[in-house]
This record gives sequence, C-alpha cells and structure tokens, in this order.
Amino acid sequence: MHTHLTRRATIAGLALSTFASSMARAEPVKGGVLNVALFPEPPMAVSAFNSSTYVGLISTKIFDGLVTYTYEMKPEPLLATSWEIAPDGLTYTFKLRPNVKWHDGKPFTSADVKYSLEKVWSKMHPRGRTTYQNVTSVETPDDLTIVLKLSKPTPILMKSLSSYESQVIPKHIFDDGTDLAKHPGMNAPIGTGPFVFKEWKKGEYILMERNPNYWDQPKPYLDKIVWKIIPDAAARAAALETGEADFTAFSAVSISDIKRLASLPKLAAETRGYEYLAPLFLLELNNRNEYLSKVEVRQAISHAIDRKFLIDNVWEGYGTALTGPIPPTNVEYYTKDVPDTVSYDPKKAAELLDKAGYKVGAGGKRFKLRLEVVAVSDTMAPSGEYIKQALGKVGIDVELRNIDLGGFIKRVYSDYDFDMTMNVIYAMPDPTIGVQRLYWSKNIKQGVPFANVSGYSNPDMDKALEGAQTENDPAKRKAMFVEMQKIAARDVPLTDLFYIKYVTLHNKRVMDHTTGAEGTYANFAKVYLAK
Amino acid sequence: MAFWRQYRRNVAAVIGLAILLVVVVMAVSAPLLYPGDPWDMAGKPFIWPFQSWKFPLGTDRLGRDVAACIFHGARVSLLIGLVATLVAVVVGIVVGAFAGFYGGKVDDVLMRLTEIFQTIPSFIFIFVVVAVFTPTVPIIVLAIAIVSWPQLARLVRGEFIALRGRDFIQGCIAIGMSDLRIIFFQALPNALAPVIVTASVTVALAILAESGLAFLGLGDPNVMSWGTIIGAGRAVLRQAWYLTAIPGVAILLTVLALNLIGDGLNDALNPRLRGRR
Repeated sequence: MHTHLTRRATIAGLALSTFASSMARAEPVKGGVLNVALFPEPPMAVSAFNSSTYVGLISTKIFDGLVTYTYEMKPEPLLATSWEIAPDGLTYTFKLRPNVKWHDGKPFTSADVKYSLEKVWSKMHPRGRTTYQNVTSVETPDDLTIVLKLSKPTPILMKSLSSYESQVIPKHIFDDGTDLAKHPGMNAPIGTGPFVFKEWKKGEYILMERNPNYWDQPKPYLDKIVWKIIPDAAARAAALETGEADFTAFSAVSISDIKRLASLPKLAAETRGYEYLAPLFLLELNNRNEYLSKVEVRQAISHAIDRKFLIDNVWEGYGTALTGPIPPTNVEYYTKDVPDTVSYDPKKAAELLDKAGYKVGAGGKRFKLRLEVVAVSDTMAPSGEYIKQALGKVGIDVELRNIDLGGFIKRVYSDYDFDMTMNVIYAMPDPTIGVQRLYWSKNIKQGVPFANVSGYSNPDMDKALEGAQTENDPAKRKAMFVEMQKIAARDVPLTDLFYIKYVTLHNKRVMDHTTGAEGTYANFAKVYLAK
Repeated sequence: MAFWRQYRRNVAAVIGLAILLVVVVMAVSAPLLYPGDPWDMAGKPFIWPFQSWKFPLGTDRLGRDVAACIFHGARVSLLIGLVATLVAVVVGIVVGAFAGFYGGKVDDVLMRLTEIFQTIPSFIFIFVVVAVFTPTVPIIVLAIAIVSWPQLARLVRGEFIALRGRDFIQGCIAIGMSDLRIIFFQALPNALAPVIVTASVTVALAILAESGLAFLGLGDPNVMSWGTIIGAGRAVLRQAWYLTAIPGVAILLTVLALNLIGDGLNDALNPRLRGRR
C-alpha cells in the first residue's frame, strides 16, 4: 500500500515537474550562473582585431553587433534598429538604437560605428579588408544615423554585420593615440552587450556579469557567465558529467565521447548554430606538384576517397559530404548540379590515373605524395591514415608527415613545401567571404595563412568570383556562383571532403543558447537556466 | 655453458627470456603471417577480439587488423629499442672508457659533458629533438640514444677507474702496449658485464620512450608501432578498450621480460652473487 502510494505520488510529481518545465520554457527564469568549459584560452577578447574562433566565442557576449541573424541568414535588429539600401546598392543608411550605453556609462553613438569601420574593420580585420574595400565615405548626419557610400555594390555587406564579423568598439577607449595592436582595451573590453567583463585569471577563468543597464530588459537573464579554462578534453567531458560545467561549444570533447555524453539524461547535443561559420574539412593540393598539376590526378584523388566512410568511422558521423566548393548552408548559391567528381569510385580513379599516364609500377604504386598532418585533435591523425590507405588502393603512395601548428603554417603557407594537406576552413555565410579566397588567383599570396595555397589559377574562375563580388542582382549573382561551382567541380584544385557538424554539448537546463545562424556566437541575452 | 647454468637458476629470468623469444618470433614472422600492409583497412571497424576467425584480436576504428598491427609493431618496437641501445652503448663505452682510463682533464671535460645531458629531463629532451627534426625512425632512434648514453658512460667510467689500478693493466702499460689496445682489448672485456646488464634495461626504456612518443602523436606516422596503436585507441577508450589494452599488454610484457633478463644477467655475470641461490 505504502509503495503504491509513493509510486503514485512520484508519477504525479513527475507530471507536475514536466508541466513546470514546459511553463519554464515559456517564461524564462532570471538569475543563475552559466559555467562554460573553454579551451584553448583566447589570447584577448575583441574580435574586431582577432578573428580566431575562441576570441569570437567570448567577445560576442560583451559586444553587440549591428544586427543578428536568423537560421535563414535574415538580419534582425540589434544595435541598428532599421536600415535602408539604395536600389543601386551603393548607399546604406542605418538607424541606430537610442539610449544604449557602453559598460562605462558613455553613450553609444554613430561615431563609434564610424570609427570601428574606418580604423579597424577595413584596416585590421582579415575579411573586413575585403568586405569594406568599396566603402568610399562614412557619414554621420546625427548621433543615431550612419550612411555608407560605396563605389561598387557589395552584396556581402549585410551578411557581415554580426558581432563576430564586424564588432562595434568604443571610440572613446580605443581612439586615444595608443598603438591599436598593443591597446590595453583588448584585455579589459568595454562593450554595449548584455554581459560586462569583470575578471580574467589567465589559465583559470574569465568572469562576466550581467549588464544591469542593457537596453533589452528584462534580458539578460543570467547573473554571470564563468568561462572555465579546462585544457584536457577528458576533463571537459568530466566537467559536463559532474555538472561543474553546463556548456561547451565547437565539439569541445573528444569526438568519440560526444554520443555517450549526449545520451546522458541531463545532457543534450545541438548541431545547429554553426551555419554562419560553415566549417569545411578539405584536402588541399599543391597544384605546383608534377603529378597534382594534372587535372586527372586531382579528379582521381577525389574519387578515391570514400567521404561517407571517413565521416562515419573517424568523425563519428558528425559531417555531411560535400558535392562541390560551396556548402549547402550558403542556401542562396549552392547547387548540386555540377560535374560529379565526388562519388566514391576507386575504379574510375584508377582509370583517370592511367589516362594521366601514370601506370602502376613496381610494388603496385604509381607515384608518391606527401600529406601534412597537424595532430591537434583525435580526428586529424586517423583522417590522414584513412586518406593514405584510400589513395594507396588506387596506387598513390602517401607519406604522412606529422607537424605542429606553427611548423605547418610555415611549411605550407610560407615555403609551399607540401603536396597535400588537410585543413579546416570556415566557408562563412557567403562564398565571397569564405570560399573565394581558396580559388581566386589574386589570392595566391605566399606567407598568408589560409589563402589560395594550392596555387590554382583559372581566368574563368576569377571572372565568376570577381563578378559576384560586386553584382547587385541576386539572380545574376547566383548564375556566377553556379558557374564557379561547375569549374571547381571539374578542375578540383582542392578536394572538398565534408561539412563539419560541430556540436554544442550542454546541460539540458541551459535554454535558448542556439536560436539563429550565429549559434554560440550570439550574445546570450536570451539564455536562461531552467529550474 | 657455465653461464647458462648460472642464468637458468633464476626462474624469473628464464621466463623473461621465453617472453622475449616469443616477441622476437612475432617480429620475424610478421611478414610471413601478415604479408600485407598492417595499415590496410582489412575489415569492418570495431570488431571485438575473439569474434571473428579472420581477426582474432579484432579491428580498430578504421577496420585495421589489430593482430597484424601487433606483429608488425613488434618489429618496429624491437628495432628501435635495439638500435637506439646499440648507439647508446657504443657512445657510452667510448666516452666512459676514455674518461675513466685517462682521468684528469679528459675525465673532467667528458664528465661535465655527460652531466649536461643528464640534467635535461630525458623524455622532454627526446620531445625537443623529435619536434625540431621530423619524426622519422632514424631521428627517433637518435633522440632515444642521446638520452640513454650518459648513464652507460658513467657506468663504464666507474669500471675503468677501478680497472686502471689493477696489476694486469699496469703490466700492459709497463710493456708499452698502446692505449687504444689496452682500452678496447684488455680493460673493456672486463668491464662489459655491467654494461650488458644495463643495456638490457636500456632496450626496455627505449621501447617505452618510443611508445610514449607515438602515443602522443609524435611517432613516425608511417610506421606501425605499439605506441601508435595505443595512441589511436586512446580516443575511443570508452567504447573499445581492447584497442589500448592489447598493445599495452604487449609493451608491458616485453619491458618486463627485458627487466627480468637484466636481473638474470646480473646474477649470472656477477661472480660475487654466484651460488647464492
């Protein structure tokens, strides 16, 4: 009788608590501390100066962008309340949000945006230099209006106004004559965002507190965010399991641990929210190499690799095979309708190699290529081993060369001393921002990391890419990108392998952390902890 | 024969020798039993041991045959252990012999040099050497040899200092025998016993060092060693522990065997311990 009652009471309790949590979903709860397990530790905290991944993760909570983005990459108001683009695409007028204050109490005005654009985005940001290259003047008719005049249309501009990509920084802090590259404001950032930077204990934690004067009250809901620096992947997994951390982004645990952790009752995995970055896993080929200069060899390599096997067995299923240079997340421009050079077909690969004039020689091998492996994660080394075996099956002998990240940048980008290398590249929301740099002949820049390192140069490709850069008509622009995808699929200057599905692992009580394409690069004003 | 009679009194040492023989047989028979490339993705990934006749020890996350990896790994681990030790022994003997035999300034210079190498933590030193050059088998062998020779040099020096005062060496000097001849043909054979004992342990340490490097991803990525298998298996420890356990046991047994052999050799070669058991 007693047990029976208890059980019934439990069921009633469960029903109640389910009800309560669904209530909580509708009504965000105020208060609480969000603990995030973070590694590597970012070197500073202003993305306007440093576009690296983990700087973006923390700085976007302190600094708001002009806009934020839905999953469909539609801009939504943040610091800008409305905007107007002239039909010729040469004038942009933004209205800014009134009564927004910097964390030190100074008012936020159009002068801050003008300063950020003119002095920082267009000068110091690796992608901003291209995005804002056609801006001829920035006018500030009043404190809350900003007008950009352009010499050529720049269709990517409206996609580049997130906090991560174009971070609005305070003029009164940075414009004090100090060398910007060494400015102390980078380590004690002052923004307009929902969280105020409080303390940074190097190697231990970064502490942020709720901004009580945030314009969008009652947001933010959280009292604090603590970014705990936990260097070991297994320790990060343990922190999630024990509840010491509530949140991790960018697949912060060992890839083979993700499924196990996600299946725990209190944890969950989210793969959305990386569409803005669109991380791609590529095999870059040095087209200067005797063998790799032949298009048949490059096509053969692409056909010899079973992308599905690689994704399923090395990347635990966290990937989507690519069909061409532009990922499906660039929805407006992606096309499947390109020459097929990606299907797994070792027989065809062998035929292509025969056709190129490289017959199977002694020991079943045709020729030898080297593959650079940066052993930074538990996925890189086995990916390299897989590629070695896969190419070995069609007669290409692959020598793996282990190297650290610094040595890799020098050997590959400065010395061009490589044949093949695996790389993770962010495709970003528009091909002009992310993909173009890999295929554009004017981006063959020795010494510049993540430039066109394959040395691929094709006037037709350049024409399509350069046309799309300044084409204001969406239909014509799409046609140019379709052309670009066809050329890339045929020429295969580099091997597109797959779109990496990064995972945000989090405690189920953390709500509304991923609500748009920016994912964990959003400002976290909406995030709350369910009771 | 007398040596073997001494040696076999130590049962543990005989077991050690038996284990080592098995490992050597594995290494020698690897190309016959598993003629293919051990890196080949031969079957489905993650077949557990004893589930399939074709793969008695299972397959790893890329479908490689673990048994083939272990057999071929034995070749690499033994090769690196033996060659590194050989290099270390030669360097150690030369340095130690000259320092011990001549004493004085020569001794000072050589011993300070030895101490420089000894004060650097050995595994970190290996790391640095491998990181500066590319991780290939010759570089790894060299790196391990560099950290292993000082110990041997000091040992040989001690032996030579003791031998130098002995009558037969003094006799050799008196009859005008050349220094090199005295060092290598008179003194060295008498100093060799402790060197052999230490060398057997050095082989074990070299195998461990190579496994450590490979485990951390700093081994030669084109060569299948036991450490490579563990390093690859570590990532999937929670779903396939056998991938770490099998090569781990192989390393454990080999290192244990070499240590037991070292003990046995010590007993058999040390006249003072004779007849104790």
